[in-house]
Amino acid sequence: MTGTRGSAPAPEAARILNVCLWCLVAVVVEIGLFASYRGHDARFHWLTHFFVGSSAALLVMAAVAVRTRRPVPAPLVWALVGHLFAMIPDVAFTAGAAHRPWMDIFAGHVSSHFVPGRNLTWYLVFLVCLGAYLAAVDRLRSPGRG
Amino acid sequence: MGPALKTCAVPSRRSLVAVWLASAVLLGGLLVLAALARGPLDDPDPARQRPGLLDLGSLPSPAPRVSAEVPAPGRAALVLFERVDRLAGLCEALGHHRFAGSAVVVVVVVVVPGPGDRCAPGIAVVGDPSGALAAQFGLDRPRDGGVPVGYARVDGRGDIRYRTLDPSVAAQLDEIDTILRAAK
Repeated sequence: MTGTRGSAPAPEAARILNVCLWCLVAVVVEIGLFASYRGHDARFHWLTHFFVGSSAALLVMAAVAVRTRRPVPAPLVWALVGHLFAMIPDVAFTAGAAHRPWMDIFAGHVSSHFVPGRNLTWYLVFLVCLGAYLAAVDRLRSPGRG
Repeated sequence: MGPALKTCAVPSRRSLVAVWLASAVLLGGLLVLAALARGPLDDPDPARQRPGLLDLGSLPSPAPRVSAEVPAPGRAALVLFERVDRLAGLCEALGHHRFAGSAVVVVVVVVVPGPGDRCAPGIAVVGDPSGALAAQFGLDRPRDGGVPVGYARVDGRGDIRYRTLDPSVAAQLDEIDTILRAAK
């Protein structure tokens, strides 16, 4: 099995607790972001940017996992960072700056809303990217790797 | 991060599958909840509601005649579309709001699918019983099939630069300030 280094790894309980703590932080921040979108119709936007940003993060995570031959630490934090990157124009909008086409540099912030199938499409893309990352992690267990 | 996060063990295949399934169920549930939360006045296409982007799709396009002042050369306009039973609430909000975000003079007009009525000082109400004006502005029909509730931004050249349905417009007038500033 890959991913353990040194002769004195942290106890399993402490490891799980630490990972869960970071997961909890990411979940709490996501709930806060959800609440920050004013209006019931804004949930559509939250979901779009979550799916797109975290999908991009998952692809990066898969590449890092393959490269380093171990799962990435605090995976939900990576997804959160991807989401935050994708929603930067919405923060600017709240501050009084309307959207512009160039804001697509933030994970397709503008045009991602208009793909056929809308959020259902991005949901499926997200599941594929999540599967890709999990498959990359699963392969780390194969004999002869790491 | 603690040392535990630097030494990530590979979870079992069963755990990985469980993570994928749990994510699919949780996020699929959120998708369903978001769809259920949509109201009768919302746009059937949520991507077209409050996009925050000027000149979307076929815009800019010439604005139809709303009143003697809209459109008028050199004078930008905000055209709000509201239903008769909600007009009082919108007018009250308009009475307390000052569209200070724009550097240009903005004429504010409210269009209702009924006879013209009184609103806040300086804000005309235009009757549009058939809903033809909203259609000419290219506003989508809301999910309930009735006349739209939302607004359009017309610039000083008489072009529509922004249009959206917005059932919560009375509570989000500051968002219109952002649109007014962007379409100088």
